[in-house]
Amino acid sequence: MSSVRLASPSSHPRPLSSLSAGTSGVVAHVLPDIAGHAERLHALGVTPGALVQVLQTFPGIVFQCDQTELAVERAVGHLVLVAPE
Amino acid sequence: MRARPLRVALVGNPNVGKSVVFGRLTGRYATVSNYPGTTVAVTRGRALVGAEVCDIIDTPGVNTLDGHLSEDERIARHVVENGDADVVVQIADARNLRRALVLTGQLAAFRKPMILVLNLIDEARARGVDVDAERLSAELGIPVIETVAVEGRGFDELRAAISVGAVPNLPARQAEALSRWAHELTGRVRRISHLSLARVQERIARAVREPLTGLPILAVVLYAMYLFVGVFGAQTLVALLEEDVFGRGINPAATAFANRFIPIFFIRDFLVGEYGLITMGVTYAIAIVLPVVTTFFLVFGFLEDSGYIPRLAIFSDRLFRAMGLNGKAVLPMVLGLGCDTMATMTTRILATPKERLIAIVLLALGIPCSAQLATIMGILGGISFAALVTLFGVVLGQMFLVGFLAARVLPGERSPFIMELPPVRLPRIRNLTTKTLLRVRWYLGEAVPLFLVGTALLFVLDRLGALVVLARIGRPIVTGLLGLPAETAQVFVMGFLRRDYGAAGLFELAHSGQLTGVQSVVALTVMTLFVPCVANLLMIVRERGWKVSLAILGFITPVAILTGGALNHVLRAFGISF
Repeated sequence: MSSVRLASPSSHPRPLSSLSAGTSGVVAHVLPDIAGHAERLHALGVTPGALVQVLQTFPGIVFQCDQTELAVERAVGHLVLVAPE
Repeated sequence: MRARPLRVALVGNPNVGKSVVFGRLTGRYATVSNYPGTTVAVTRGRALVGAEVCDIIDTPGVNTLDGHLSEDERIARHVVENGDADVVVQIADARNLRRALVLTGQLAAFRKPMILVLNLIDEARARGVDVDAERLSAELGIPVIETVAVEGRGFDELRAAISVGAVPNLPARQAEALSRWAHELTGRVRRISHLSLARVQERIARAVREPLTGLPILAVVLYAMYLFVGVFGAQTLVALLEEDVFGRGINPAATAFANRFIPIFFIRDFLVGEYGLITMGVTYAIAIVLPVVTTFFLVFGFLEDSGYIPRLAIFSDRLFRAMGLNGKAVLPMVLGLGCDTMATMTTRILATPKERLIAIVLLALGIPCSAQLATIMGILGGISFAALVTLFGVVLGQMFLVGFLAARVLPGERSPFIMELPPVRLPRIRNLTTKTLLRVRWYLGEAVPLFLVGTALLFVLDRLGALVVLARIGRPIVTGLLGLPAETAQVFVMGFLRRDYGAAGLFELAHSGQLTGVQSVVALTVMTLFVPCVANLLMIVRERGWKVSLAILGFITPVAILTGGALNHVLRAFGISF
């Protein structure tokens, strides 16, 4: 099973917004916030353990999460911490 | 035995094909598109399942039923929760099982008999995704049916299962635990053999969303749209219908018929006179506006089914953010180019009340509907490209300014831009034609009566001499501030009844050489910014209530007139004549 890996230094979690196109990884954590963005992401399948791949970073961030293609603004990308593979 | 039909609610994530399933079960068509949020209200239909009569309830797509809920999600939750539904049929996209299962877990809490439908099983297999339905059924304790709804595959099984739905044997879980459970269960029942990212669809998806290729593609799409709607629809078809069918066929025949058989001048004039029901009302509605509306809806349907429009949201997000919206607003805005009334209804896909209000105002203020767009192209296209640029520059600038200020003045929040991009698909001709026909029928049912009422009202006003009075009252504004011929006042009265109707009136004025270049630009700018048509206004009332609607009306009218006045004076001061 794809459990969350936090231990190895090469996969130290970084915000989705800092990753370049083509990077894939596993969602380690979605930062909770007051506006409920995290809940939205949750409902769309962006939860710890989900496999993501960054497809594009400009003008917005486009990434594949599991079988869903999602577009988000940068501020939302800050909330998703990904352990790159 | 039940005294009433079994109520079956269709629930599921957005864009998984609920409306297609609904159509298959009931034989009724619910609007189907390839983007999340097409169903914005509950649709009901009756179906015979085995020997049992069922009420099928199609609900808007939902991502969650717990926590922060959108308007759509509240509607869907209400249907499931308040005893409205006897059986819940959850429709899932087989590729996105994990997300669907989170919803299954939430639905289970309502303790209703359930069935899980894994739809789009063909697309899932093509992507190398395989789900073990039997095992999934055993783990959930409910029937799991695999379907390809657009082809009707798996529907015998689905019909058979409706009467044997079971309450899922799942414990209640909190959000975190629920998503962990969904993740693990997905891992047990799903096999992904290969993730082929090199398919043609993936390449197209990438080409349209990356700026370097996407922006040129957008330009080509807009140009192709202009050729099909603006040239083929608004010029070729309109000329054919207006000049040949109506001009040489119907209208002379109707006039001849009236002259021979209707002795009363008043009635004859009412039917075939200058403001006649047939010679003006029917001619405008059928010959000038219908071809444009039909060709636009064909193109729009193609774009929405192909998955193109949501990808435009990526480009437009930053622009919309400055106006207190986010990229998602591109959907109602583009639809508004077809019909603002329809688009006003679609603003429900936006998350916050503030966003919905801004979008409704911008639609009413700046987005020209297809009929207006065609008139603008028809009149200004014949004058000069600079005239077109001026009009769109002013209208878009005004829209941006209003949005920018509204974003800062109005209370409330903007929601973050988080958007699911549907897969790129080749639209199905059948869905495309059905959808276009349905929209055209809607147009004929909704708009044409208003055209006729408008014509009748105009006739009465003309008879009573009120047109002269209205024109005199409006003269200082129309001839003074706007610098337009006095007859334009009358066109603006028509425009109040229906924007496209007024636009068609301007078309006539311009074609008979009564407007100069500057006058055409000013008149069309005011008309575009002007009060929404009656149908649009009624839709705003339905969405936001009378108070807000009157406020919008009271805001837009002076904005339109003052902008037109300013434009008139600037153009004249600089001696621009196009």
